[in-house]
Amino acid sequence: MSTVSTGAHHVPSSLMRESLVDKNVIARTEAPVFPILPDVNIIQIGGRSIIDRGYSALKPLLDEILENQPKHRMVIGTGSGVRSRHIYAVGLDLGLPTGALATLSAKDSAQNAYMVSCLLAQHGFVYLEAPFVVQLLPAMLAAARGAVFNGIPPYALWEHPPAVGKLPPHGSDAGSYLLAEVFGARSLIFLKDIDGLYNADPKTNPQAELISEITVEELKRRKMSTLPIEPSVLDLMSNARLAKSIRIVNGLTRGNLTRALAGEAVGSVIRA
Amino acid sequence: MTTTGNNPLLTPLGERLVGGSLSDAALMRATEATPDFQILPWVNVVKIGGQSIMDRGREAVYPLVDEIVSNLKHHKMILGTGAGTRARHIYSLAIDFGLPSGVLTVLGTAVAWQNAQMLHYLLAKHGIPFIEPEGFNTMPHYLMERNAVICQGMPPYKLWEPNPAKGRIPPQRTDTGCFLIAEVFAARKMIFVKDEDGLFTADPKKDPKSEHIPRISVEELLARDLDDLIVERAVLDFLARARNIKEIQFVNGLKPGQLTAALNGEPVGTIIYRKGGIQ
Repeated sequence: MSTVSTGAHHVPSSLMRESLVDKNVIARTEAPVFPILPDVNIIQIGGRSIIDRGYSALKPLLDEILENQPKHRMVIGTGSGVRSRHIYAVGLDLGLPTGALATLSAKDSAQNAYMVSCLLAQHGFVYLEAPFVVQLLPAMLAAARGAVFNGIPPYALWEHPPAVGKLPPHGSDAGSYLLAEVFGARSLIFLKDIDGLYNADPKTNPQAELISEITVEELKRRKMSTLPIEPSVLDLMSNARLAKSIRIVNGLTRGNLTRALAGEAVGSVIRA
Repeated sequence: MTTTGNNPLLTPLGERLVGGSLSDAALMRATEATPDFQILPWVNVVKIGGQSIMDRGREAVYPLVDEIVSNLKHHKMILGTGAGTRARHIYSLAIDFGLPSGVLTVLGTAVAWQNAQMLHYLLAKHGIPFIEPEGFNTMPHYLMERNAVICQGMPPYKLWEPNPAKGRIPPQRTDTGCFLIAEVFAARKMIFVKDEDGLFTADPKKDPKSEHIPRISVEELLARDLDDLIVERAVLDFLARARNIKEIQFVNGLKPGQLTAALNGEPVGTIIYRKGGIQ
């Protein structure tokens, strides 16, 4: 089975002895991708925008999730919210590096995921840590009604140094996007506290207009000073194979999630 | 901490973080000016190549293990491993099955893990532990007690690995994982042990006229936009924006003494440095 050449014991394969850094070798590995869980919808609940507001904001949303459960399979990710902002402030003051901040911040979104899973537990939802998402998600979706995961990806100490500053670039929006991409999910819906993407910050500019649909390319070209999602999501979408659109809706407005799950034009869509 | 403003528990930057948007570019720039605490400034991260070293078996690995052991008295090391030929095999298969890059990362991690485990067996009698990403909190203790630990080199991204721009191979593999360990801990050195004397103007395995490059800036190397490189491109991108690591070194692990020389600060192999770092 193995072949020996230039001193190394090789296993025959189309990539044998190749440099995986070689652009020509990399180009050869482009091929269609199989969607692993094509009927699953990934629902991302904002930390500061929804969960930090407490029961009055979260409960109607969870009720709406349950109403939709007979029709749509859902996996729910959570953001981290204000506690992460606080630990960033303390951590930066202590001089901690990006990877340490990412490790700390992931606990805030894990707490939120755990609380959401407790509120949905009687309806069969389970909280899955990253290793269980890798191994058990399909089984959990078959046996249980749904699952809640920590939106922040498990990068921990290995979080990328950002281009500017020190804050971890991959938060819960990026983590939810990456799961939607790797599973080939049916849809990815971000639930925030504004109606979608605006051409200016609607919190400071009353003239701001909602953008109902835009491409990643166009959005990057506009170089907006703030976005309702993490800017890293746009970079990830530039390399999308399966998750080629995301939708941002106002999770404080009853009915928006239902409409988004039904494929209706609510909020904003960003397309790769 | 020093505080001003309305909330006595927060710095001015803290108030902006708690109140502002994390997608705000100006706020991101403000975090740039915060101090950098060095977590393990005396540790050296040494990455042992998969295809270049481990796949060669005893002939390459035994002398390198001896050299690592002889350096234990003088240097503290985090030893990370690459994946190699079995990863190439499973990547080919998985691509053929249509599986996404995140799944390839899960699969490739297992190969780097196997190599780390083998290296661990060879170094176990010296009391050197193999630690998983989840066990990194205990690492400083082992480094103080036994001067080295072994880990697999892949970053623990699992299904969350970002897609490459082209193709399906995970863009952030064991070179990147080891570099990020060095960067987050503010390591003394990041040394890549491969089977070449460093960087050449062309692949020395294919072109005998290629010339050795002893020292080059990451900016210049990126500007050359070479088809092939000695290291994952992500490492160069991250080095260019790193806050702690100023240079990375590539040595030939098949030549006894090169790793020792690099640990001792000698300019063997190739050094890739970032401008704005030590010149």
